[in-house]
Amino acid sequence: MKAVDAMMGQFEVVHALALRETRTRFGAHKLGFFWALVEPSIFILTFFVLFKLGGRDAPVGMTLFSFMATGVIPYLIFANTVNRVAESINGNKSLLFYPQVNPLDVVFARAFLEFTTYAGVFMILMGIESLYLQQLTISDPLLVLMSFVLASLLGTGLGLVFCGLAQFSNAVDRARGPIMRPFFWVSGIFFTAAGLPPEARQHMLHNPVLHLTELSRAGWFDRYEQTHADPLLVLTWSVGLLLLGLTLERVVRRKIEVT
Amino acid sequence: MIELRHITKSYKTPYGPNVVLDDISVKIPTGESIGILGQNGAGKSTLLRIIGGAEMPDYGEVIRNAKLSWPIGFAGGFNGSLTGEDNCKFVARIYGQDVDRVIDETREFAEVGKYFYMPVRTYSSGMKARVAFGLSMAIDFDVYLVDEVTAVGDKRFKEKCAAVFEARRERSSMIMVSHSMAVLKKQCKRGALLSKGRFEVFDTIAEAIEAYEAGVAA
Repeated sequence: MKAVDAMMGQFEVVHALALRETRTRFGAHKLGFFWALVEPSIFILTFFVLFKLGGRDAPVGMTLFSFMATGVIPYLIFANTVNRVAESINGNKSLLFYPQVNPLDVVFARAFLEFTTYAGVFMILMGIESLYLQQLTISDPLLVLMSFVLASLLGTGLGLVFCGLAQFSNAVDRARGPIMRPFFWVSGIFFTAAGLPPEARQHMLHNPVLHLTELSRAGWFDRYEQTHADPLLVLTWSVGLLLLGLTLERVVRRKIEVT
Repeated sequence: MIELRHITKSYKTPYGPNVVLDDISVKIPTGESIGILGQNGAGKSTLLRIIGGAEMPDYGEVIRNAKLSWPIGFAGGFNGSLTGEDNCKFVARIYGQDVDRVIDETREFAEVGKYFYMPVRTYSSGMKARVAFGLSMAIDFDVYLVDEVTAVGDKRFKEKCAAVFEARRERSSMIMVSHSMAVLKKQCKRGALLSKGRFEVFDTIAEAIEAYEAGVAA
């Protein structure tokens, strides 16, 4: 009974945090959630234009718009979760002032918020495209969902590791940007694994984020049969990073000074 | 009853660790208000934060068999970009309270007018303290941890706070940290002394004051 009470209490805290994070993340602007929609839209639009100008098109069987969206969204879930989770202690010290809030509650609330935001944005963007094209076919919705969930897990794991290490040295926070930037270029937002030369592909597939974009496209497009993505590899990375991150949190939690 | 078990806390300084709380094991009775004395920098506020759970000790644990407030008078815990109302909503939620009731009571008590619906960063320190205090009063705590609360606000507001605490005395007690002997004598029945990392609980506040003064004179 006590465990159930404790779990309900913890759930309430994470719920309250998620609501509060929603306010701080979107509430400052009158347009709120609209900005979450604008970010990936501008992204897609820019590369839409660049691709057209460069004479490139999406792989066969994909519209350029949905090709970009299926790549950008898992990447954004991953990258934004990493950044938000990495800052969850240093950006929220005043919250730890309340004894029932511990750093991990903030981590979970933030990861959850990033996931729901971009999953929602994905549905809206795809909804708009399907209205425009007057058709909608999803090959395997569960595979798309799996890609997003794995992106969230992987991002939470890596974010936690950054967050823990940042308690030892400020340099970690500064190094995070440069470390994260290459993922934008090598994670399959602009290409598919099948479209790469075999030797390059072999190396590129060490990057778990490429597997995420592969999975979401395999789930979305009927005609994209990917044979390179391995959900188990992403899961292994995620679990490994989560374990490391949670261990670090145990180590640093007594070091955090509430101000 | 609050029990401290082997509570140890030190801060790193360039001259080596400064041990503020040195292996403190003590039972603090909570039925009656208790005043904690100690010199500047003795670690009174740190101890209060550890009791409340806002900060973790380096070593040891705190057993709490009562519903404790956060350290009142310490106006942290608010997010500057959120309105007073949103901040209060958040706190009401994490304490499992009826959100609407807490909002109404806090707004009425704090008397900050329209500012209640504006970001907390636009508040003066007095306004912030009033909202924080009103909020802590709107939530039913068994024990209030008070850190120099009487320093907050103008005279009229101080009187209002004192009156509320007076009315609350039957239901709740206080653990109070203050430099003012007069305040402690008036508000607390029991006393405790924190000195050189050691913590001692006395049956009456008078005994604690005596021990404190003996320590200062020595």
